[in-house]
Amino acid sequence: MSRIRDRVALLVRLPWAGPGLLSALIGLTLLLSAVPAATAAAAGWLIDRLTGGDARNAVAPLAAYALVLLARHALVAVREPLSYLAEARIDGRHRAELSRLAASSPTIDALERSEIQALIRTARADPESFMDGTPGAGVLAQLDLIGRSVALIGASFVLAAYAWWSVPLLVAGAVALHQLRWHEGVQRRRVWRHVPNSTMRADMWSDALVSPAEGKEIRVFGLGEWAIDRIDRHLRTAYDPLWPMDRRILAATWRQLVTVLVPLGIVYVVVALDAARGGAPIAVAVAALVAGTGVFEAFDGAPQATINATTCIQAFTRLRTELADGRAVQRGRAASAGGPPTVRFEGVSFGYPGSASPVLDGLDLEVRPGELLAVVGVNGAGKSTLIKLLAGLYEPTAGRITADGVDIAELGPGAWRARLSVVFQDFVRYHLSAADNVALGNALAAPDMAAVVGAARDAGFDEVVSRLPAGWDTPLARARGGGVDLSGGQWQQVVLARALYAMRTGAQILVLDEPTAHLDVRTELDVFTRLAAHRGGASVILISHRLSTVRRADRVVLLSGGRVTEDGTHEELIAAGGAYATMFAIQARRFQHGFDDRLEEGELT
Amino acid sequence: MIRYVRLLAELLALNWRLRPLAAAGLVALCLAGVPTTPAMALALREALDGIVQRDPRAAATSAAVAAIAYAVGLYLRSLAYTLETMLGDRVGTLHIRRHIEEQLTRLDGLDHLERTDLLDRITVLRGAAWRLNHAPWQAVVAVCDALRLALLLALLAAVSPWLLLLLGFAAAPLWFEQRGQMSIADAETGTAEAFRLQRHLFNLATAAAGGKELRVSGAGPEIARRQREAWEAAVSGRFRARLRAAAWTVAGWTLFTGGFTAGLLLLIDRTARGEASAGDLVLAVTVAMTLRNAVQDTLFAVGHAMSGRILVEPLLWLRGYAASAGTTGGRTPPARLRTGITLDGVGYTYPGTDRPALDAVSCHLPAGTVVAVVGEYGSGKTTLVKLLTKLYRPDRGRIEVDGVALDDLVTAEWRARTSAAFQDFGRFHIRFGETVGIGDLSHVDDRGRIADAVHAADARVLVDRLPDGLDTQLGRPFDGVELSEGQWQRTALARASMRTDPLLFVLDEPTASLDAPSEHHIFQRYLVRARELAARTGAVTVIVSHRFSTVTGADRILVLHKGRLVEQGTHDELLAAGGRYADLYGMQATAYTRT
Repeated sequence: MSRIRDRVALLVRLPWAGPGLLSALIGLTLLLSAVPAATAAAAGWLIDRLTGGDARNAVAPLAAYALVLLARHALVAVREPLSYLAEARIDGRHRAELSRLAASSPTIDALERSEIQALIRTARADPESFMDGTPGAGVLAQLDLIGRSVALIGASFVLAAYAWWSVPLLVAGAVALHQLRWHEGVQRRRVWRHVPNSTMRADMWSDALVSPAEGKEIRVFGLGEWAIDRIDRHLRTAYDPLWPMDRRILAATWRQLVTVLVPLGIVYVVVALDAARGGAPIAVAVAALVAGTGVFEAFDGAPQATINATTCIQAFTRLRTELADGRAVQRGRAASAGGPPTVRFEGVSFGYPGSASPVLDGLDLEVRPGELLAVVGVNGAGKSTLIKLLAGLYEPTAGRITADGVDIAELGPGAWRARLSVVFQDFVRYHLSAADNVALGNALAAPDMAAVVGAARDAGFDEVVSRLPAGWDTPLARARGGGVDLSGGQWQQVVLARALYAMRTGAQILVLDEPTAHLDVRTELDVFTRLAAHRGGASVILISHRLSTVRRADRVVLLSGGRVTEDGTHEELIAAGGAYATMFAIQARRFQHGFDDRLEEGELT
Repeated sequence: MIRYVRLLAELLALNWRLRPLAAAGLVALCLAGVPTTPAMALALREALDGIVQRDPRAAATSAAVAAIAYAVGLYLRSLAYTLETMLGDRVGTLHIRRHIEEQLTRLDGLDHLERTDLLDRITVLRGAAWRLNHAPWQAVVAVCDALRLALLLALLAAVSPWLLLLLGFAAAPLWFEQRGQMSIADAETGTAEAFRLQRHLFNLATAAAGGKELRVSGAGPEIARRQREAWEAAVSGRFRARLRAAAWTVAGWTLFTGGFTAGLLLLIDRTARGEASAGDLVLAVTVAMTLRNAVQDTLFAVGHAMSGRILVEPLLWLRGYAASAGTTGGRTPPARLRTGITLDGVGYTYPGTDRPALDAVSCHLPAGTVVAVVGEYGSGKTTLVKLLTKLYRPDRGRIEVDGVALDDLVTAEWRARTSAAFQDFGRFHIRFGETVGIGDLSHVDDRGRIADAVHAADARVLVDRLPDGLDTQLGRPFDGVELSEGQWQRTALARASMRTDPLLFVLDEPTASLDAPSEHHIFQRYLVRARELAARTGAVTVIVSHRFSTVTGADRILVLHKGRLVEQGTHDELLAAGGRYADLYGMQATAYTRT
C-alpha cells in the first residue's frame, strides 16, 4: 500500500534530526502521551476521595493532579523548540540534498526542462512559502502520531476499566473522523495539482510588473491593466475548480459531526446512567468521561502536514531519478601536467528535444593548443550550443568531442571541466564576498588568495576592491549587510577576474561567450587587451559578432547551417571573399563611406 | 496600530462586500463556537451532580449534552477552516492581489523597481495576498477565543468568587508567552539576512541559467555547502530564541498551576464543609484542562493577526506612495509635433548616489529629425531616454514638447504617442504574435499590423522558422521555443514598431545582440521608418548607441560624457571638430581598417 510506503519515507528521515535531539524528542513525546491517562486517573482519584467524605485525604491526589498538570505544561513548552530544531534540521538536509542534486547532475538539459523546474518547485520546501509542504513538518507529524497512538492506548486502558466495548466504539469513530479529514486534504491537493501551468503564467506576468526590463515596456506600451486582467484570467482558471470543491467539502462536513457524536454520545450516556444507578464507582465514571474525548484528541493531528510532505518527498524522489546523480563526478583530477590539449569536434550533431531541425549537423572543428580562435555566425547559428557541448553541458546526439584524442565523455565531466573556464553571457552574480565572487571561478581547487588578488589586478578589478567598504570581504549584493551593488561594467571586471583566476589555478581553455556585447568601445578594448596579455599559454575560444574584435584572433571559423563553412585567419577569409568577408565589409564600410552604401539582400547568402 | 486596525476592518468589509454569505457565515461560526467549551464543562458538572445524587435521568441528559457540545464544537471548527480557506482563495488571491498589482501599475516611474529599499517592501507584498486576508480573520478568531477564555473564567468565578483570583494567575502565562513570542519575532528579523542568502544560493543551484557556470567552475557542491551553512546559521539563532521563549512559558504556567492548585485546595475545603458540590470540582478540573488551550489559541490568533502587520505596513506605504508618485499633468500631447522637444538645463541624480547621471543638459530635438545619442558606458544615454519617456522626472531643469512642459502632459497619453525598444528589453513568454502585438494594444490581434512590425524588425525569417509561426509559444518554462538573445531583441524591435503615429520613437542600443548583416538591415529599415514617421507626425527618432557606425546617418548627434552634453552636430561637423566624437569614432574605425 503506497500510503504505508509514504509514511515509511517520512519515518526514515527521522534520524536526520540527530541522535541526541531525536531521543530527547521521543522521550518527551512518550511522556506527553501518558498525560491524558494520568490526568483522567488523577481526576478520578481526587473525586473519589472527595465523595468518600474525608476531604483531608484529598491532599495527596490533589498534589498528584497538580503535578500532572504542571508536567503537561512544561513538556509542551520544552517540546516546541526541540521540534522546531528537528524540523529545521530535516528541512535543511532536504534542501541541501536537493541543491546538491540539481547543481551536480552532469548535463544541464534536464534542468532546462519545464517539468523538472516544476518538480523542483514542488520539492523545494521553502518554509517561508506557506503553500510549500516541508518534509520536516511531515516527519514530526509522524512522531506526533506515534505519541497520540500511545496516548490512545493509555486512554483505552482507562476506558476498558469501565467497559471494554467503549474502546472499539470510540476508536472506530476517531479513525473514521481522521479518514474524512485526510480525504479532504487529498481532494484539495488533487485539484491543485492540475493548475501549476496557469499559476506559472500568472506569476510570469506578475514578475513582469516588478521587473525593471519588462516594467519599462509595460509602462511605455500602457500594458498595466491588460497584464492584470491576464493574471486574473489565469488565476481564475486555477482557482475556479477549488470553490465548488470547497462547497462540496462544506456540505459534507456534517459527516464529521455524526462520526463524533454517535460513539461519544452512546459512551457518555451509558456511563452516566450506569454510574447514577450505582453500577460503577464514581471515580471510574469520571475517568471514563475525561478519557472519552481523549480518544478523539489522539486523532486530531492535521493530516495536511503529512500530505504536503509526502508530495514534496515524492517530487524529490522523481528528481533523483530524472537528474542523474553527479556525486561521482563532482571532483575531477587537476589538469594534466602538459599544456592545453588539442580539442576536436568530430562529426558532432545536436538538436533540442522537440525541435525538428538540428542546431549542429555533423560539425568538424579543431581547436589547437594555445591559439585564440574566434567563432562567428549569424544569430541562431549554434554558437552557444557549441560551447555547451564543449563544456559537457549537453551530450552530442551524434559524433564525439575529443581532447588529445580521448573522448571527453570518457574523461568524465569533473576532470574535463577542471581544464576549462567559460564566461557566459548570463554569468552568476553571487551574493557573496568579492573574494568568493572571484575564487568561485574555480571551486575545484582550494581557494588561493594570492591568485585571486593577481587575477583581480590583471582584470583591473583591484581598483574597485580598494574602494569597497570592507575590501575583499564586502558582499556584492545590497541584500547583504554591508553589501554593495556593482555597476554593469564593474561586474564585467569581476567576471574577467573570475576567468583569469581559473586560468591561474589550472584551466587551460578559456571560452568567452559574447562577453562584451553590451560594453562600449573603450571597455571592450580594455577587456581584450588585458585578456591577451594575461592568458599565458592557454587556448581561447571567443564567440562574438563584433568583427572588429574577432579580427584580432589567430583564426576565425564561421558557423552556418550547423557546420563550419569557413575557416582561416582574418586575412585569408577576407581574401577568400566568402560570407565572412561580406559580414566584415558591411561593418567596416559603414565607417569608410558613411551610411549610404546599401547592400542588397541577395549578396549576403 | 490604529491604522492597522482600520485596515483590518477594511479587509473584513471587502470580504463582506464580495462574499457576504461566506463572510457572515464565518463570523457566525466563530461566535457559535465560543460557548461550546464552557457548555461542555457545565454539562459535565451537571452529569456528575446527577451521578452523585443518584438521578439517572438528569445524569444521562447532561452527559448527552456534554457529548453534543463537544461534537458541535469540533464540527464548527471544521466548517470555519474550510470557509476561511475559500475566502482566502477568492478574496485574497483574486482581489487583494489585484489591488496590490493595480497600485504597482499606477506608478508612472521606475524608482520602485530599481531601488532595493523600495523593492524589498514590494517583494514582501507580492504573494502575500492570501496572508493579508488571513490576518483580519485571525483577528475575529482572536476576539472569539478571548470571549471563550472570559466565559471559562466566569464559570470558575461562579463556582467560587475566590477562584476569580485565578484571573491574576491566568494573566501570567499570557504575559510570559507574549514575551517569548517577541523574542522569537526579534530572532526572525535578526536572521532574515542569513535566510535570504540561503534562498539565493538554493535558487542559484537549482536554476538552469546559473547551472551552466556552476558546472563548469565546479562550484555546485561549494554553493550547496554554503547554502546549508547559511541555513544553519539562521536556524541556530531562531532555535535559541525559541528556547528562551520556552523558559518564559514554563515560568508562566508554573505560576498559574501554583495559583490554580491553591484555588482547588480552597474548593476542596468548601466541598468538605458542604458549601460546594463534587460537580463544582469537576467543573474546575475540566476548565483547568481547557484553559491552556484557550490561552494558547487566543495568543496564537493574536500572533497571527499581528503578523499581518509585517504585510500591512508595506501595503499602506505602497498606497501612499502610489497616491503621491502617481500620475501628473492634465494636458494632451499635440496630434503633430511642430517645433520639437527641448531640454533646458536638465539634470537627474539616482537616489542614493551623489554623482548626477545627467547634468545641465540643454538641447533642441527638432520635429521630424533623427537624433543619435552616443557616449561611453555610464555617460547618461539611457537616463536621457528614460527622462524623455517620463520613466524618471528630472530633478533640475525642464523638458518641453512643442513648448508645453512634459510634466503637464498626461503620462498615459504621452506614452501612447511614444514607442521604444530598450537595451534591457522585456522577454514576454507568450505567443510570438502577442509579444509583438502588445506594442499597440488596440491592434494586439491585427495580423496585418503584426506582420508589418515583424518586417520592420527584419524578423520574418525568424517567424518562418518557428514551428507555429506567429502562434508559437515562447519560453522554455511553458514548453515553448526559447529564443536567443538576438532573437529576443528582434521581438522588442518588432514590438516597438507596432504604433504607427508616435511623436517620439526611441531605439536604445537596439542591435547590441545582433550580428553584422542583421544590424545593417535593421538600421536601414529604421532610418526609412523614421522618415515616414517624421512625415506623418513630425516624430523625433532618438537612437542611442555606442557603435558609432550606426549613427553616422543621423541628422544630429549628441555626445554625452559623464552626464554632460559635450558636443553636438552632424557626423561631418563632429569629425571636423576633432573632439571626443572624432576620437572615439577613430578608435572603432581603425579596428576595421588597420591591417
